Amino acid sequence: MKVKIREWNGVASWLWVANDENCGICRVPFNGCCPDCKVPGDDCPLVWGQCSHCFHMHCILKWLNSQQVQQQCPMCRQEWKFKE
Amino acid sequence: MVDLIVLSLLVAASLTVLEMQITVEQVLQYHSGSLQPQSSVWFVKFTRDHSIVVLMNFRHPLFVLLGGLKSLGMWQEEGHGDLCGPGPRGLQERAFTIIRALLLFSPSPVLQERVLEFYSRTFSVYMNQEGEAEDGAEVTDSPEGAVCPGCAVPTQQCWCQDALKQLQELSHILSKLQLLEWVSSEAVTSILHKLIEQRMEQHCRGEYERSFLLEFQEWLELVLGWLSKVFASEVHTDSLSGSSVLKQWRCHMHQFFCRIYVNMRIEELFSIIRDFPESKAAIEDLKFCLERTNQRQQLLTSLKSAFESRLLHPGVHTSDILTVYISAIKALRELDPSMVILQVACQPIRKYLRTREDTVRQIVAGLTGDAEGCSDLASELSRGDPVTLEMQDSDEEGNDPEDWTPDPTDAVPDKMGSKHRSSDIISLLVSIYGSKNIFIDEYRAVLADRLLHQLNYNTAREIRNVELLKLRFGESHMHYCEVMLKDMADSRRINSNIREEESRLSEEDQPPLSLSAIILSSEFWPQLKEEKLELPPVVCQAMEAYTHRYEKLKAMRTLSWKPHLGSVTLDVELEDRTLTNLNVSPIHAAIILHFQEKSSWTVEELSVKLGAPKELVHRKLALWQQHGVLREEAGGHYYVVETGSSKEKMERGMMLIDSDEERDSNTTTQSEQREEKLQLFWAYIQAMLTNLDSMTLERIHSMLRMFVATGPVITEMDINELEAFLQRKVREHQLLVSGDVYRLPKPN
Repeated sequence: MKVKIREWNGVASWLWVANDENCGICRVPFNGCCPDCKVPGDDCPLVWGQCSHCFHMHCILKWLNSQQVQQQCPMCRQEWKFKE
Repeated sequence: MVDLIVLSLLVAASLTVLEMQITVEQVLQYHSGSLQPQSSVWFVKFTRDHSIVVLMNFRHPLFVLLGGLKSLGMWQEEGHGDLCGPGPRGLQERAFTIIRALLLFSPSPVLQERVLEFYSRTFSVYMNQEGEAEDGAEVTDSPEGAVCPGCAVPTQQCWCQDALKQLQELSHILSKLQLLEWVSSEAVTSILHKLIEQRMEQHCRGEYERSFLLEFQEWLELVLGWLSKVFASEVHTDSLSGSSVLKQWRCHMHQFFCRIYVNMRIEELFSIIRDFPESKAAIEDLKFCLERTNQRQQLLTSLKSAFESRLLHPGVHTSDILTVYISAIKALRELDPSMVILQVACQPIRKYLRTREDTVRQIVAGLTGDAEGCSDLASELSRGDPVTLEMQDSDEEGNDPEDWTPDPTDAVPDKMGSKHRSSDIISLLVSIYGSKNIFIDEYRAVLADRLLHQLNYNTAREIRNVELLKLRFGESHMHYCEVMLKDMADSRRINSNIREEESRLSEEDQPPLSLSAIILSSEFWPQLKEEKLELPPVVCQAMEAYTHRYEKLKAMRTLSWKPHLGSVTLDVELEDRTLTNLNVSPIHAAIILHFQEKSSWTVEELSVKLGAPKELVHRKLALWQQHGVLREEAGGHYYVVETGSSKEKMERGMMLIDSDEERDSNTTTQSEQREEKLQLFWAYIQAMLTNLDSMTLERIHSMLRMFVATGPVITEMDINELEAFLQRKVREHQLLVSGDVYRLPKPN
C-alpha cells in the first residue's frame, strides 16, 4: 500500500517568543494587542529593551513619552534602551 | 256606568287574548305532533298550515277587539268623553297595554319557538328569492321530486309567495300592537347568529388565503333586506323609527359577524400563524374584526395555550419552534402594530426556548444561512440594519406628539415602553437570552468551525455575514470575528510566500509533503479543543520546516501547531485499486500513514504511536474499514486489504460500521467555557476575600465586573448566576456565608 499525500492543511497559532505572557504595561497578553489596537501581530508589534523586558511597542512608547526626566524601563527602572 | 262598560270590554279583550294564546299553542302542538324540533331541521317542519294558524289566531280576535274599541271610542266622543279621562286614543292605548301585558307577560317558550320557526322559514324563502340562486340551482335542475329550496316542499306546492305575504302581514299586526320588537327580536337574533355561524363554517373555516369581509358585507346587505320586511310597519309616521330600527339591526348584525368571525379565527390562529405569509388575508380580516370586538384577552389566552399544547413540548424540534416563532412575529405584527399581543402571547415561547440547549446554535445557523428550514433569518439579516430604522422611528415619535397613541390596556407594564417594543425578528430572537454576547460567542464558534473546515482560504461569504452582523450588533462586538477573518487572509499570504520560497529550492530539497497552514491569532479565536496527537515524522518535519520559514518571515514570532486540526487530501494506492482524493482529518491520515510502514497494527500499538486514547483510535479506524482499506481480525489486529475481491466489496456495502462522520466541533462547548470562566472568577473572588476579609454579594459582583470585563473574552455574569455559584462554593465548604456577607473559611 502506498499513501500519497496531496495536501496537508494544518492549523497553527502564532505566538511571540517572549519571556512573559502579558505586557507589563497594559496587562493584555502579548499575543493579543495593546488596548489602542484592533489587530494583533504585525500591526501591534513587541519591542525589547536592553534590560530584556519587552512590551507592546505602543505601550512602551506611550510610557516613554509620559516620562519627563529619565526614560526608564517600567519593570526594572534601568534606563530604557531599545535592543537592536 | 261608562267605566263599567269599559271595564267589561277590557276583561272581554283579555279573555279573548288568553283564548287566542291557548288555541295557538294547542293547534301548533297538535300539528307538530310528536316531532320534536331538532336544531338542524327545526325550520323544515314549519309548514303552511302552521303559519296560517299563527296568523289566524292573531287576526280574528284582534279585528273583533279593534271594532269594539272603535265603537266605544266613537260613543265616548259623542258626549261622554269626560267620563273616561283620556278619550278614545287613551282608551285604545289602555286596551293594547292590557293585551300586551297579558299576552307576553311571560312569553311561553312554545310561542317563542313558533315565532322562531316562522321567521326562519320566511328567511329561507326570502334568501332564496333574493339571489341565493347558486344554492338552489342544482335542485331546480331536476324536476322529479324537486324541492323548493325556500319552503322545502315540492316546487309545485311552493308557498314562498304566500309566506312572504304572511310575513308582511304579521309584521304589520305586531307593529300595530307595538309588540314587534318584543316578539321577534329574540327569534331574529338567534336566526342571524345561527346563519352567520353556519355560513362562516361553510365558507371560511380553514380558508386563510382570501379575505371574506366584502363577501360577507354583501351577504349581510341581503339579510338586511329580509330584516326590513320583518320590521316593516304599516304606519307611515313610523317610517323614521322603522329605519332607525333597521340601522340598529345592521349594527347588531355587524357585531354578530365580527364576534363570530373573531371566535372562529381565534380557534384557528395557530394554524394561521403557521401558514403566515399565505394567510395574510385572514390576519387582515381578523385585525378588522378584532378592533370591533373586545376579545383581545380571549385571543391572548387561547393563543398562549395553543402554543403551549402544540409547540412547546419535547417532541418539536428547536428549529421548528423557531420557524413558528418567526412567523408569529411576522403575523402578529400585522395584527397588532403596537406589538402588545406579540409580546404577551410569545412570552411562553421565549421562556421555553431559553430552556433548550441548541437554541442559540439554531439561531446562529439560521443567521448564517446554514439551517435547512429557516432561510427567513438570513434574508432578514441581509435586509438591513434595525439600528438606523429604529432610530428613525423614535425620531418621528419625538417630533409628532399628536400621533402618540396609548398602549392597549393589556400591555405588560415594563420600563421599556412602547417605543422599544421591537418588532425586528433578529432583535427579538437575540433578546431571548437578554444579551447579545451569547450569540456573538456562538457565532464566533460557528465561524471558527467553518473556517477551520475550509480547504481554501475563500472567505467571501463569511466576510459578508460578518459585515451584516456588524450592522446589527455594532462594530465593537464583531471585532474578534474580523480578526479571525484577517487571519485567514494573512495565512493565505504567508502560505504563498513560503510556497514561493520552497519552489526556489533544488529538486532534492523539495519538501516531501505539501503543507499549508491556517495561522491563528490565538487570543481572538474561541478556545479550540486540545487533543494530543503525534504525527508521523514526515509530517512533523514538514511542519518544522514551515515553522522555520515563518520565523524568518516574522521576526520574534513562532508557530505552535495544533496537530489534530486541519484536513488532509490523500490518495491510497493499493495493489488492485486506488482511492483518490480522499479528504480526511489529520488523525485518519496519521493512522493510514503508519500502515504504510507495517501492514498490521493493533489498536494499542497505534494508540501508543499516535499518543491518542485507544477509544479515539478505534473510532477513527472505522473510516478506513468502511473504505475497505483496513480489515479487523481476531486479536484486535488490523490489516491492510491489498486485494479487494468483489465479494468483499459486497460485504463492505452491507457492513454498517458507525464511523464518526459527524463533524466534531473544534471549539469547546459552551458549558465547558462557562466552567472555565467560573474558575477564573473563583480565583478573583478568593483573592478579593483574602484581601478584604468579607464582602457582600453586590460588592463581589461589582468588583468582578470591574476586573474581569477587560479580559480578552468578554464575560458577562448576572448577579443571580454569581449567587448560585457562590452558594455552590458554600456547599463545597470553600466559602462561608453569614448574613449576606461571604468570607473564606479560616485555615486551621
